[in-house]
Amino acid sequence: MRRRSITADNTIFVLLSFEGPDRYSLAGGLGVRVTNLSQTLAQLGFPTHFFFVGDPRQQGEGVSNGGKLVLHRWCQWISQYYPEGVYQGENEKLYDFNESVPWFVNEHIVKPAVAKDKLVVILGEEWHTTEAMCRISDLLYGNNLRDKVVMFWNANNTFSFHRINWGRLAYTATITTVSRYMKHIMWGMGLNPLVIPNGIPKPLLGRVDENAVARLKKSLDADLILSKVARWDPDKRWNMAVEATARLKARGIKTMLLARGGIEPHGEEVMHNARSLGLNVKETRAKGNSLEDYFQAIEGNGMADILNLKFHCPQEFLRIIYHASDAVLANSRHEPFGIVGLEAMAAGGIAFTGGTGEDYAIPFHNSIVLETSDPKEIEVYMMYLEECPEEKEKIRRAARQTARQFTWEEVIGNLIQKLEYQARIQGLLATPRGNPVSDPSPSEFDNVAPNREAVLVGSA
Amino acid sequence: MAENLAIYTVVHQPRRLKLPAQPIPQGAKLQDIERCLFDEKLNEHYFHKVATYCYYPATEMFLDLVKQGFKLSIGFSESFLKQAQAWDKQLLAIFQELVKHPNVELVCVEPYHSFLPLFDLRMFQRRMAWARDNLEKVFGKRPSVTDTTEMLMSDGIYYALRNSAFSGALLDGREWVLGWRDPTHLYHQGKDLMLLARHYQLSDDVGYRFSNRGWWGYPLLADAYAHWIRETSGEFVFLAWDYETFGEHHSRETGIFDFMRCLPGELAKRKVTMLTPSEVIANYKEQSFYLPLPVYPCTWAGEGGMEFFLGNAVQQAMFQLMLHAYNKALLSKNRKLIDLALWLTQSDNLHLIQWFGHSGSEAEVSAYFTPDEWWQLGSSSIVWEMQQVYKNFIRAIDAYL
Repeated sequence: MRRRSITADNTIFVLLSFEGPDRYSLAGGLGVRVTNLSQTLAQLGFPTHFFFVGDPRQQGEGVSNGGKLVLHRWCQWISQYYPEGVYQGENEKLYDFNESVPWFVNEHIVKPAVAKDKLVVILGEEWHTTEAMCRISDLLYGNNLRDKVVMFWNANNTFSFHRINWGRLAYTATITTVSRYMKHIMWGMGLNPLVIPNGIPKPLLGRVDENAVARLKKSLDADLILSKVARWDPDKRWNMAVEATARLKARGIKTMLLARGGIEPHGEEVMHNARSLGLNVKETRAKGNSLEDYFQAIEGNGMADILNLKFHCPQEFLRIIYHASDAVLANSRHEPFGIVGLEAMAAGGIAFTGGTGEDYAIPFHNSIVLETSDPKEIEVYMMYLEECPEEKEKIRRAARQTARQFTWEEVIGNLIQKLEYQARIQGLLATPRGNPVSDPSPSEFDNVAPNREAVLVGSA
Repeated sequence: MAENLAIYTVVHQPRRLKLPAQPIPQGAKLQDIERCLFDEKLNEHYFHKVATYCYYPATEMFLDLVKQGFKLSIGFSESFLKQAQAWDKQLLAIFQELVKHPNVELVCVEPYHSFLPLFDLRMFQRRMAWARDNLEKVFGKRPSVTDTTEMLMSDGIYYALRNSAFSGALLDGREWVLGWRDPTHLYHQGKDLMLLARHYQLSDDVGYRFSNRGWWGYPLLADAYAHWIRETSGEFVFLAWDYETFGEHHSRETGIFDFMRCLPGELAKRKVTMLTPSEVIANYKEQSFYLPLPVYPCTWAGEGGMEFFLGNAVQQAMFQLMLHAYNKALLSKNRKLIDLALWLTQSDNLHLIQWFGHSGSEAEVSAYFTPDEWWQLGSSSIVWEMQQVYKNFIRAIDAYL
């Protein structure tokens, strides 16, 4: 047995996702996740091929990170008809993705890699890639290559779970997900995914510019600053945040909620609710894309109770908001991972996470964990924190400590451990001692959870 | 007893649809619409397969035979020619060599193997005129006798072809068309256009039954077959087959090539003279007989009527979609869209779903023509996805109206 572990010298990564790093391809957290994942893999030295629905105006293939990361912009001939972004013309793109990616991966990546005695790891993200993963597996099997490749498919959310042929997927790939909460949901479906958490880029752990924080606080001129960054979706519990703001205002505390939503129509309902509670809602737009533009957009709105930010907020600005806020309301009722809460913690913010129980959140240690959908709960904890400023500081410090454990470098370490386990089962890596145990059953983790126990069963 | 024999074969490959149906982007350019409709990868795969097992060995055989005095008439669909030009020019050259031989008559066929003659006779005339010019360009011979699609013939089709100045046309010699008449005479429905009636029993002995071990005539040997031809009453026997009969419908192992190679000798022994269709017309035009053609078209497929193509509900639904697609494309006045709509009227798309709701030998033949790759979808999904291709196309035309 030649290899004992997965290293940058012996392994090639292939990443499949609809979303990707192009502005055209970024729709939500998935795009950020896969962009950071692919870049970190490349920075760690792994040759990485990233297939995504790319901007039709850019080169079909792009190389970065010293040649380690190859961006394969897929479906461009379709995307030219759909300028609104990755999910416009979704079905058309999905067909093309399923038709052409498997063949390309098989012919142009796996075959040459195996010929050079490389191990290939294929990671699929979200429901859009399930069919492609199955077809890749079938093609590899037909070419007698399936056992040379480790295939993981990851669920970041429960979106379109009804469109997935789970039996086929579980047979062809190892299923993973991003949190124990998701694992429990999937247990209910007879699946037993591995948990590999989401990550954040290391630079998010850097110090936040205190001058910028001070400027933001001054311009808002509020006793309490709350912030919430999420799609306008009932699952995100926007109304809970709005009602908590109203309750704090009713106490005579000048409270400002900075709201950054999406384009979803639920936003109108939320704002209607806010106005009906007597809150002063203002919308603001930035004239440009600089920090100065963002500050100018916010300044002069001190009379507002809710400031609806109608402009793109990059991480650089969000980190200032998170740090300046007395609470970052990541209070969803259904949160597969909760990346905003973690990003807020990385910025030294106080995250109020939701009742689904984010894996990284420890109540009163690094965050406030809300257990109900009652706005009173936010109100009461806000009062508690105001009364105990030393608690606030303690939580901010612990939050940053926790976030350090979730950088992509750390997460990839976890991922590689699990990939190595699977590779050993497939006989691709030598076991540390003795010979690999042989077993004629399928060479995958057991993705089925008949007794709801996360037992990892594998064989060569 | 028949002293003359004319043989016709038609070379055709369908342009198969892409299944499952590929959604067409809104406002798609014409070439992008086209790539969503047809599975050229699959078509290329089947083309090479049939070329290996049939086109090369069969053409080599016929080249040998015509050099020895065997006479053959042959038609080519544009569907086949386009594929040959794209994927195997060497094969096309071999066919050109065959057609060039004086013993070979080139016959015109409906270029896309479409059902156009069923619903737009004026366009059908234009397409036949185009096909005749095109065949002359490709092969250097100008056809004067014509086939249609699946040997469709009717009163209307007859007049469309007569007005296109063909000297002869083909039809299947079914009893319901010929009535009391034998297929072994020359017919017409108004002297200008002669009709050769295919002897369907003798043709099907080779075309369908040759490799059927359950058939009483199995194994069919050349001497017996020549004897049957010679013993048939009438002036001539006209046989017609798919070219793919040789090596594809019946594999080499069945002995089909050996059979054909022995046939000329056995015919000669029985003093059966081989003629081309034009020679048949020249010899028998003056003593041709009047044949009132049916209004409902006849065909060489199935039992000879349109029920083979329109006999079940899904075929009828698909035919409606063909008509809708074609008529909507006409509204656009866009030549490329009309051309794509014509491709979609290809008869094969109805032929290969004849099995739906049926069983028996005809359904087996139909199922044989359904690509293996489609069966994993399941029979209902095949039909659904085929219809979806048409619906997607019909929607895609919107951008051009």
